[in-house]
Order: sequence, then C-alpha cells, then structure tokens
Amino acid sequence: MRSTWKLIWPPLVAVVFFLTVWQLSVSLFHIESWILPSPADIARESTSNASGLWAHTMATLRLTLIGFPIGTGVGLIVALLLHLLPWAKRAFYPLIILSQNVPSIALGPLLIIWFGFGLLPKIVLITLVCFFPVAVAAMGGLAQSDQVMMNYMKMAGASKWQIFTKLELPSSIPALFSGVKISATYAVMGAVVAEWIGADKGIGYYMLLQKSAYRTDRMFVAIVIIVLLSLVLFAIIALLEKWLVRWKPRRNS
Amino acid sequence: MSQATQIEQRTTEVISSPEAHTAPPALEVSGISKSFTHRRRETNVLNNVSLKVEQQEFVSIVGPSGCGKSTLFHMIGGLVKPDAGTILMNGKIVTGQRGEISYMPQQPALFPWRTIEDNVLLAGEIKGTLRDGAREEARHWLAKVGLSGFEHAYPHMLSGGMQQRAAFLRALLAPQELMLLDEPFSALDALTRSEMQRWLLELWEENRRSVLFITHNIEEALLLSNRIYVFSGRPGSILHTVDVPFPRPRRDEITDSPEFLKLKRQLSQWMREEQAKNGKQPSK
Repeated sequence: MRSTWKLIWPPLVAVVFFLTVWQLSVSLFHIESWILPSPADIARESTSNASGLWAHTMATLRLTLIGFPIGTGVGLIVALLLHLLPWAKRAFYPLIILSQNVPSIALGPLLIIWFGFGLLPKIVLITLVCFFPVAVAAMGGLAQSDQVMMNYMKMAGASKWQIFTKLELPSSIPALFSGVKISATYAVMGAVVAEWIGADKGIGYYMLLQKSAYRTDRMFVAIVIIVLLSLVLFAIIALLEKWLVRWKPRRNS
Repeated sequence: MSQATQIEQRTTEVISSPEAHTAPPALEVSGISKSFTHRRRETNVLNNVSLKVEQQEFVSIVGPSGCGKSTLFHMIGGLVKPDAGTILMNGKIVTGQRGEISYMPQQPALFPWRTIEDNVLLAGEIKGTLRDGAREEARHWLAKVGLSGFEHAYPHMLSGGMQQRAAFLRALLAPQELMLLDEPFSALDALTRSEMQRWLLELWEENRRSVLFITHNIEEALLLSNRIYVFSGRPGSILHTVDVPFPRPRRDEITDSPEFLKLKRQLSQWMREEQAKNGKQPSK
C-alpha cells in the first residue's frame, strides 16, 4: 500500500499545484469568466447542472462502448491478417499509415452523406480512429518474438500455426495492450467528434450548444467529463492487462 | 576419395548392408560445409565436418568461439541447409528436416507466459505426442530435479540454475531421442555450473540418451562425454577426436586422477594453439 501511495502522490501534488495557480491567476488578474472560468466556478457549475449532464455523459459513454470494441476488433483482425499474409502486409501497410493522415473531422461530413444521421456513421468514425493504434501495436508485437524461442519452435518441428498460437500471439500481448490503451482514449475523443458532426445528445452536442451561448464554464465541465471518461476506460484496460500479463516480471520502480 | 562418393558410399552402406545388426548411429554428420554471404563477402563457417553420435552416447564438441558450432546445431535442427554434406539420424537422411531433435539452447528460453509444467511439456505438445499420463510424468520429473512446488510458477520466479534445469527437462521429456545441448551452462556462475554438471552426469547415467553437447569448458566435456571432437577456429573443422576412457558411473573424483589431468592438459593446449592462431589473423 505504501508503494502505491508513493506512486500516486507526485502527480496528485502536480495537479493540485496546477489548479491552485489557475485559481489564483484568475482572481489576481481579474480574468473575465467567459474567457477563462476558475476551477471553483467550473466545479460549482458541474454540480448545479448534474442531472442534465448525466444524460449527455451516458449517451457519449454508450457510443464509446459500442465503437471501442468494434474499432479494437477491426484493428486486431487487420493485424492478424497482415501478419499471416506477408505479401498483404507489404502491399497494404503503407496505405494504412497513409490513411492516418486523413483528419477524422474531415471525414465526418462525408460519413453523414453516406450513412445518414444515425448510429452507423458515428461507429464508423470511432472505428477509423481506434483501429490504427491497435493494428500497429499488434503487428509490431507479432513480428518481434524472441529469436531463441523461435529457433526452438522451428527445431522442435512446430508448424506455422503452432508458432503463431504458441509463440507469436502470446508474446505480442504486452505490445497489443499498449495499443489498446491508446485506442481507449481515442475512442472517447472519437465519440465526442462524432457528436459534433451530428447528434441530438451527448457531451459533444452539449459542447456545441454551450459554445453558441458563450458558456465557457460549461464547456470546461464537458472537458472534465471527457477526461474522466478516458481515464476510467484507460484504468479498466490497465487492470485487464495486469491480470492477463501476470506472467511478466514486475519491474521495481 | 571425393566428398560426393564418400557420402554416396556411406548412404548405400546404411541401406544395403544386411549384416548391420547393430543399430545405426543416432546421428551421423558427414562432409558438412557451409558458407554465408554477407555484403558480398563470403565467410566459410564450416569445412568438411563429419562426426557421429552412437545410440545412447554422450558426445561433446569443444572449440574456440566462432568456430561454427552453433551453425552446426542449426543445421542438425533443420534451420539451415548445408552447402554440402548430409545428416543422418538412425540411418535415415534428415538433412534440412525439422522436428527430429530435442534442443536445449544457451539461454533457458522458457516461454514466460507458460507455467514451468507447461513449459516442460511443450515439445510433446508440438509433436502431438502427449499421452494422458504426461502431466503426472512431468510432475514426477520436476520433483526429481528439485523443482517440486514450482509446477505452476512462471519462469521469471526461478533462479538461473532452476530455469536451466527446467529447460533441460523440457529437452529430456521431448519425444525425440537425440538431444542437442548448446552450451547449456555457460550463463551460470562457477558454483552453480559445477553443481549442474554433476547433476547432469548423474541424470544422464540413469537415463541414457544420445546427446550432442557443445561447451567451452574442457573439464566439463571430459567429465561428461564418451567422445570429444575438438574444433578448429573459423572455418570450423574437426582437429582431433578424443575418446574419453573413464568407466561409468563416473564420480567427481576422476577430475583429480592423473589421466584426467593429462587429457585436460592436452586438450587445453590444442585449444590455446587454436585460439592463438585465430588471434593472429589480421581481421576478425
């Protein structure tokens, strides 16, 4: 317990320090609250409007929880296919990297033209944002199995499939998780962006609404909620990783 | 006699000799040569190497580093194809075939996500030869090598010596008869190393398997082997073949006997000469 406390207190102190500086500078320099509300203002606003926010938060969470598994799944499938078919990897890997240069916000209007205003274009958008980190991390992990173990498997007469299931797949799990963790936070972001483009509820929609009313404090509340959602999702994935990769020696930090 | 006819004769010998009532050797390497090309520069790694491991014989290879011992192992394991020569096991040509040998690499290379028990069973799992009692047998063996209580531990929880014992057990419980041990103790400290040598000697004398063993350590080779092949520096070829005369079961005390010391001195001198010759070469 002491050791976890040791890990937690430095970032905690940093956050408290940051909030204090923010609060003090807003009151010292008399910054108007429609430009930059103080942390206290934001906290007050979030409690006064809790029930309305809750519905929006749930809408975004729902969208995230549908899109994230699909995006991760697509990323995994792409990685497996490209790993098992080396010629496909040579052909498509550059294209996949190139696809990441297309900004997701620019795709939004197109997706709406193609798929309408329902759930589908939003899921497609989140998938496009999520699959890339998973695919790249998984491919890297699959390609970097230990050479001695690989030689052992080959000399023992292992088939390609056995090498894949008994060596490459398990040894790629830690790398895979680092990709999934990134894509978890991307999924929340993707959901918010999808809601900007066309929705009637959700945190993204709420932000647009407050922007037109110049309610900076409420926009900050929305940002806090987005950060919290990402953090929770990230923590869940990290716990899952800890349980699945329990065979790895724990590093002393 | 040219290499080709030599090989031909050997194979026909194996196939056509009706009076061969004794079993053919577990491993027969004949006339193996291998070069690698790297950046248009050809390096000759092995030059006309022939050696033999009879059934249930313990044979060692000693030689300076870079003499192509590991390449030879990779060839016997089917990872690399020789430029010339053949590899026979139990009288069958197996050049370039995989899955014929049981291998123990220099590093334990236990699979970190498998428990010790699952690691030990890996070779049988790959070959599809695991019987119902395999798990009990593995547990019995783990207890025998001092690893009881660690059946469900992950490799990183074990010390270096324990990991090596588990890796050895993985090779021992493999369905293949011939074991290739590639400097299995080189990463261990001196004390653990001599302990492991005694342990291996005892274990092997109880359960005779055909073993080909690579080592840098002359004393280790003399203690364990029936026969020692002394390799030259690159390109690796066999300089001397030494039959080790000590009867079995051997005990540690033989390392103090005059005959042992004499052999050790002789081998050390050959190795020193080879090492010196390599050192004199202008480029690596």
